[in-house]
Amino acid sequence: MTSGLTISHRAQTWAMSRRSITGLRRQPALVIPSMVFPLFFCALGTASFGRAIDLPGFPDVDSYLDFALAGAIVQGILFGSVVSAVGLATDIENGFFDRLLAAPSTRPGIVIGRLASGMTYGAFQTLFFTVVLIPFGLTIRGGVPAVIAMMVAGVFVALAVGGLMGSMAIRTGSSEAVQGAFPLLFVALFFSSAFFPRETMSGIYGALADLNPISYMVEGLRDLVIVGVTWSALFRAIVIPATMAAATVALALHSLRKRVAAS
Amino acid sequence: MTVTTPATRAANTVHTGRMAASVGLAVRSLRNIRRLPSTFLPAVLMPIFQAIAFAGTFFAITQIPGFPTDRSINWFMPLAVVLGSGFAGIGIGLAMVRDIETGFYDRIRMTPAPRSSLITGPWLSALARSLIVTSAVVAVGMLFGARLSGTIVGLLPLYVAGLGVATIGTGWALGLAFLFRDMRGAAIMQLTLFLVLFLTEAQAPIMVMDGWLETVARVNPFTYILRLARSGFLTDTPTRDILLGLGAIVVLSSLTMSFARRQLGRLDR
Repeated sequence: MTSGLTISHRAQTWAMSRRSITGLRRQPALVIPSMVFPLFFCALGTASFGRAIDLPGFPDVDSYLDFALAGAIVQGILFGSVVSAVGLATDIENGFFDRLLAAPSTRPGIVIGRLASGMTYGAFQTLFFTVVLIPFGLTIRGGVPAVIAMMVAGVFVALAVGGLMGSMAIRTGSSEAVQGAFPLLFVALFFSSAFFPRETMSGIYGALADLNPISYMVEGLRDLVIVGVTWSALFRAIVIPATMAAATVALALHSLRKRVAAS
Repeated sequence: MTVTTPATRAANTVHTGRMAASVGLAVRSLRNIRRLPSTFLPAVLMPIFQAIAFAGTFFAITQIPGFPTDRSINWFMPLAVVLGSGFAGIGIGLAMVRDIETGFYDRIRMTPAPRSSLITGPWLSALARSLIVTSAVVAVGMLFGARLSGTIVGLLPLYVAGLGVATIGTGWALGLAFLFRDMRGAAIMQLTLFLVLFLTEAQAPIMVMDGWLETVARVNPFTYILRLARSGFLTDTPTRDILLGLGAIVVLSSLTMSFARRQLGRLDR
C-alpha cells in the first residue's frame, strides 16, 4: 500500500511537472527576455569591460566573457524562475490550484511539479548560454564535465529561486505580487559578485556582496568555468544552491500548509 | 439637442487656446502622479537604484588608466538621469495608451482643444517628470559621493540632457501609442530606448571599449547626449562633444515629435 502510494505520488509529481514544462514550451514569448537580456548584457559587458580584467582583484581569466558567463546564467535563471512562480500564482487565481487541493493529490508534488518547468529551463539556459558564447571566445577550463556540473547547478539555483517566489505566490495568490517582487531579485543580483569580483568592491558594496548568497552561487559556477572542476567549485556551485533550494521549498510547503489550514 | 457648427467650434477654440489646453492636460497628467503613485514611483526609484548599484558594482573601472573620473558615481549618475528621463517620456506614452483604451482620448477629441495640445500637454508633463527624476537622482548621487568638477553650473548640461531625452522619449512613445493604440507598443517603446541608451558609452568610455560596441557607440547620437550629461562631472569634456550632444537632442526631438504628430494625424483620420 505504502509502495503504491509512493509510486502514485511520483506519478502525480511527474504529471504536474510535464504540465508546467509543456506550458512553458507553448508560451516561448514568456521566456524569451530571460534568454535575450543576459546575453545582451554579457555582450555589452565583454565589449565595455575587456580591459578591466587586468585590474587588481580580478581573477586570472582569458577574457571578461569567461568571467561574465556565470553572472549571465544566474541572471537568466532569476528571470526564468519568476515565470514558473507566476504560473503557480496564475493557477491559484484561475481556481486550478483549488481543484488540485480538493483532489487526493500529493502536496509537495503540487509545488515541485509547478517549479519543474523553472528547473528544466535553468538547465537548458545554462547549456544554451554556454553553446551560444563559445563561438565568441568563451573558454570553459573544466570542459564538458564542468558544463554538466553547471547544468546541475542551474537546476538547483532555479529550484532555490522558484521555491522562494513560489512561497510568495502561495501566500499572496497574486501573479501581480510575484511579478512585483522581481525588482528585489534584480537588486540582489546587482549587489552581488555577478558582474564584478567582490575583491574590487569597497565599503558597503563589498559588505553587501559578502552577505549576498547570490555571490556564492555565481562564484561556484564561475570557478567551474575559469578554474575547472574542483571540490571547492562543486561545493559552491551545487551544494550551496541545493541547500538553499531545500530551505526555500520547505518555506513554500509551509506556506501551502498554512493556506490549506486557512481555507 | 445641441448642434456644434464649425462656427461655434471655431469660437470655442478661441477660448481654449493651445497653451491653456496643453497646460490643462499636463496638470492632469501630473495629478495622476499623486493619484496613482505606483505608475511614477518606479521611474524615480529605478534610476536611483541604478546609479547606486552600478557605481558600487563597477567601482573599480575608474582604475583603468585614462578613465575620465576617479569616482564611479560621477560616471553612472548621469546615465541614470538620462535613462530615468527617457523612461519618464515612455511613461507618458503608456498613459496615452491607457487614455485611448479607456475612451478618455475620444472625449478629448470631441472638445474644441487644439489637436497639437494632445502632444504638447503630455510633453510638458514629461519635462516636469524629468526635472523630478533628475533632482532626486542628483540629490542621492551627491549623498553617495558624486562631485561636480567645477561650479554648480555643471548641473545645467545634466538637466538639459535629461529634458532632451524626456522630449525624445515622449515623441517616440506618443507616436507608437497613436500607431498601435494598445499596449502592444509598450514593449517596443521600452526596449528601443533601453537598447539605444546602452549601445553607447553607458558603461565605459569608448577609449576602453573593444570591438563592435566601440563602432556602434561612435555613431550612436545618444553617446554625445551622455557626454553632454556627464560634462559637469568629468575632468575634461571637449566643447565639440557638448555641441554634438545639443545637436543630437534637437535633431532627435524634431524627428520623434514629427513622428508623433504624423501618427496623431493618422489616428484622427
